[in-house]
Amino acid sequence: MDTFIQILASGITLGAMYAVGTIGLSLVWGALRMLNMAHGVLIAAGGYMAWQAIAGWGLSAPLGLVAAMAAGALLGAAIYWLAARFMFRNEAFENNIIIVTFGLAIALENGILKVFGGYPLAQPFGLEEGFRLGAVHVPWKNVLVVAVSVATMAAMAWFLARTRMGRAIRATAQNRDAAQLMGVAIGSVFAQVLAIAGALAALSGVLLSSITTLSPQVGFDPMLKAFIICVIAGLGNVMGALYAAFAMGLFEAAVQFFLGVRFALPLMLLLVILALIWRPYGVFGRREVRRL
Amino acid sequence: MAEALLLVEDISAGYHGQPVLKQVSLAIPAGSVTMVVGPNGHGKTTLLRCISGLVPLAGGTIRLAGARIDGIRADRIVAAGVVHIPQGDLPFPEMSVADNLLMGAWLPPARAAASRRLEEIYALLPRLAERHRQMASTLSGGERRMLAIGRGLMAGGRILLVDEPSLGLAPIVIEHIYDILQGLKAEGRTLLLVEENLSRAAEIADDVHLLDDGRMVWQGEADALLERPEIFATYLGA
Repeated sequence: MDTFIQILASGITLGAMYAVGTIGLSLVWGALRMLNMAHGVLIAAGGYMAWQAIAGWGLSAPLGLVAAMAAGALLGAAIYWLAARFMFRNEAFENNIIIVTFGLAIALENGILKVFGGYPLAQPFGLEEGFRLGAVHVPWKNVLVVAVSVATMAAMAWFLARTRMGRAIRATAQNRDAAQLMGVAIGSVFAQVLAIAGALAALSGVLLSSITTLSPQVGFDPMLKAFIICVIAGLGNVMGALYAAFAMGLFEAAVQFFLGVRFALPLMLLLVILALIWRPYGVFGRREVRRL
Repeated sequence: MAEALLLVEDISAGYHGQPVLKQVSLAIPAGSVTMVVGPNGHGKTTLLRCISGLVPLAGGTIRLAGARIDGIRADRIVAAGVVHIPQGDLPFPEMSVADNLLMGAWLPPARAAASRRLEEIYALLPRLAERHRQMASTLSGGERRMLAIGRGLMAGGRILLVDEPSLGLAPIVIEHIYDILQGLKAEGRTLLLVEENLSRAAEIADDVHLLDDGRMVWQGEADALLERPEIFATYLGA
């Protein structure tokens, strides 16, 4: 029973972090057909911004979180205004943007290295204590990560379903031409989507660095896992990505517990291969039919 | 002829460097119903996509009430008053019928009247009212076409471009859709219809243009075209 609780506690925490990290990536693919290779560095930038706000400027932790999300949103919007807007009407956009965002990621990562150095930093949150669930120690930080993540997902679900901007994002993702014919300014929608994805990536960076440490490469592993989750869920399927994030968190926790940490990533990649063979459009995705 | 609400002058356009439209001109007076007919794949849909800003022009100009609308963004062309009901499947499959209709009233002037217009659309197309909570992806072909037309009507606009309103539909549904278009004509709305088949559309069209291989090859009143069997045989295969 304790083993089950341990796996459940670790898996849900991992899943919650992956979910926040993945929604943005999935949203950007769904709306723009854009694989954002700078997603990982946005995660790192969020973590560093929160650290700077709390440890450097002496702001409270909630304000640090807000500052991190604002910085992520600005960086996301900057990716649109500086790069994507010149390219998204181009037929080779899906390939070109991968190279462009990869370049931006390298530049930003080196910028972070220059400003903050390469030494790992600890996120200056309190909450060192925890509580016991049977024989399992559950840190309050993990509870906070899950709570913030669930609240963010609920807010995103409400935003996409109920707001005017959310409806524009869904319309653009489902049919770009038709959205334009309704009068939706798709350029603004793309900028908003990248800003939202940037804010979510930054939040993910804060959550991640609150239970590990902060380094310029901190976002690489979560970005890789976010790609894995997106492919398994079906690219652009936001709700599917949420389910897949928690499933992958639990899967990773179970593999780490029973087989060892080093087997987690290879087995997750194996799942991707199986998903691509069995359902190339994703476990929660739909077969895409294009009428010509 | 009255002054044209929509004036298309010598436009050329294509895809991947291949020309589809070759110096096409068209003048549509306010309050008229203009029909463009022609064989499949000869540029009718491209003509509408050029007018609504989805396909960039290689040459020529398009004016709405005297103001140029070529070269501006598609959403701004909608704001200027050009409403395009596209050919093909329904646009927002993962939205409910009601949300699809509300997307038609996206821009401010239509948004202010959205509730009233929604009731009018439901009265005109009761099938949509019955299915207002249903995902649009679950509708039949005829219901999807009604949804597309309803969504176009939600937008209001100064001119309605309708691409193949009868394509692939059962005769009873075609009748219903043309009754709606006839009603719009009676209200004085300006319509540009693209059709492959003249049989029903000619009854409501004031003016017919024949597009063949990207060029306008004939223009006149619908009755005049119906009296020219050789044109039917040459261009429309009838």
